[in-house]
Amino acid sequence: MQGQDILASLEKAVITGNKADSVKFAKEALDKGVKALDAIDHGLVKGMTIVGDKYAKHEYFLPQVLLAANAMYGGLDVLLPHIPKADSDKKLVGVIGVVEGDVHDIGKNIVKTMLTAAGLDMHDLGKDVPVENFVNSVKTAHASLIAMSTLMTPTMDGMKAVVDGLIENGDRMKVKIIIGGAPTSQPFADDIGADMHAINAQEAVKKVKGAI
Amino acid sequence: MADTMNHLERGMASLQNKPVDRLVTYPLAMGVCRRLVGDGKMTYRDWASDPKKFASAFIEGQKHFDFDFAIGLMDLSVAAGDMGSTVRMDDQNTPFVTDPALKTVEDYETLTPPDVKKGRSKVLVDGTKLFVDALGSQVITAAFLEGPLLSLTQAASAEKVFMDMYNNPSAVHKALKTITEYNANMVRGMGTTKCAGLVWDYLWGSYSCLGDKEYEEFEGKYARGLNELTGKEGMAMCIHNCADLPHLDTQIKAFKPAIYSMAYYPLIPGSPSAKETIEKGYADNCLIGGQIDPQGFVRWSQEKMQKTTMNLLQEVKTAMCARGLHSKYCIASGCEVPPTVTTRLENIKECVDTVKQYGQIKC
Repeated sequence: MQGQDILASLEKAVITGNKADSVKFAKEALDKGVKALDAIDHGLVKGMTIVGDKYAKHEYFLPQVLLAANAMYGGLDVLLPHIPKADSDKKLVGVIGVVEGDVHDIGKNIVKTMLTAAGLDMHDLGKDVPVENFVNSVKTAHASLIAMSTLMTPTMDGMKAVVDGLIENGDRMKVKIIIGGAPTSQPFADDIGADMHAINAQEAVKKVKGAI
Repeated sequence: MADTMNHLERGMASLQNKPVDRLVTYPLAMGVCRRLVGDGKMTYRDWASDPKKFASAFIEGQKHFDFDFAIGLMDLSVAAGDMGSTVRMDDQNTPFVTDPALKTVEDYETLTPPDVKKGRSKVLVDGTKLFVDALGSQVITAAFLEGPLLSLTQAASAEKVFMDMYNNPSAVHKALKTITEYNANMVRGMGTTKCAGLVWDYLWGSYSCLGDKEYEEFEGKYARGLNELTGKEGMAMCIHNCADLPHLDTQIKAFKPAIYSMAYYPLIPGSPSAKETIEKGYADNCLIGGQIDPQGFVRWSQEKMQKTTMNLLQEVKTAMCARGLHSKYCIASGCEVPPTVTTRLENIKECVDTVKQYGQIKC
């Protein structure tokens, strides 16, 4: 199999949500001398972008998106260690998590996947994340972006606590902050001093790309 | 204007699309009404663990707000907790699953139906009976249960279940059959409470989550049997779905609920407004409940709540008159009024009072 065919196979593996194929073709790409970054950008990411478009058009639904994400991460696990350090260092770092008191993370995981596909180095803080973990990420992970989500009303104030914590420790101007989740809105983002709100993963990618 | 019908007369007339003195209203204020009991310091944990405390919130809520309905929503982790999931119960936050019980394919296959006479399932049935006994002669009462797919996603995590729909479909079906058996026992239990209706939360019928094919395969076919059983046990079958882009053709036109409660997401393209829902015929044979933003009960001033309720009333009345309907809309919040301590109780009252004052409909 030649380079172009391998890239097409990686793309297809993501679109069909086939993790085993994604891992197999990622290894084959390396064996055949395809650059890891090319395999990611022109194979995995290309596939995930198509999946995102299909989801936006309601041709794909959550199960297919989750399987595609799983396939993409399978391939990434193989390829990322082979990216030259100089190239990895160029990537902007984002941290993402569900705020403290909330464990609904399916939306957060999809946003993480699409931001990864958009070229960011996303660090997943998980769910039920304490305020200080978000706040400290600017120093510990050199994050340029903080993405927070919640599905529940009582935990929305945790987002404000993060913004306030960043102001207090002097790091607020070093990051862009995006929020999402069913009860949130742009007016709420404005209220708490976040930079952006997104209604879905596609919009999140668009807004983050515009901002950083 | 003063009411000229009582709650039951108005509710029954609305279900039959007969003329009413005013539209019915029920902001979905459940857990938040615990703040009206005693010294107002009842924790969510206590409320969701004790039948008497659970019922007392509905009884006090009715005294305080004068609703047209009482619907027994506790939270969405009752079944998952009784299946063995760890449920975190904070003082002032809705209980939620922190550690799902079902982690492997074998877990799906070996799952047994929780005993409805134990755990919070029993609390829910007993608590429902208590508030139905107290309020059943005043308002239309209904029990509230999670649909099988919702219970499974709570007990195994949504992400795992959705992926297993493709990776291990037979195991998912086995778990769904077990949960449906549990749900059937809960329906029979709720039937003994003499509540007038039973509301199913069929949350995953959303085009942001599942397509028609997956929904039919993994919930529709189980829901149909439970819907039928609900009627057989003497309760009107009702549905609540606060997800965006709900499967209205399936959940209203095919399932034929007496009441359908739904939310509106103005930022999401295609999310149906009250006007569109009525215009497209979904209220023709079903009492639609919605669609005041539940956030408004926390964040808006009373004036804004009044204005929003008045605007919704006008929208609904205009659309219903154009459709030849008299009363097929309930002014409600599409999702539960946040049960948090910061919810403004005066906004719940404002919503109800505004419907009393401006909810008359004459086409």
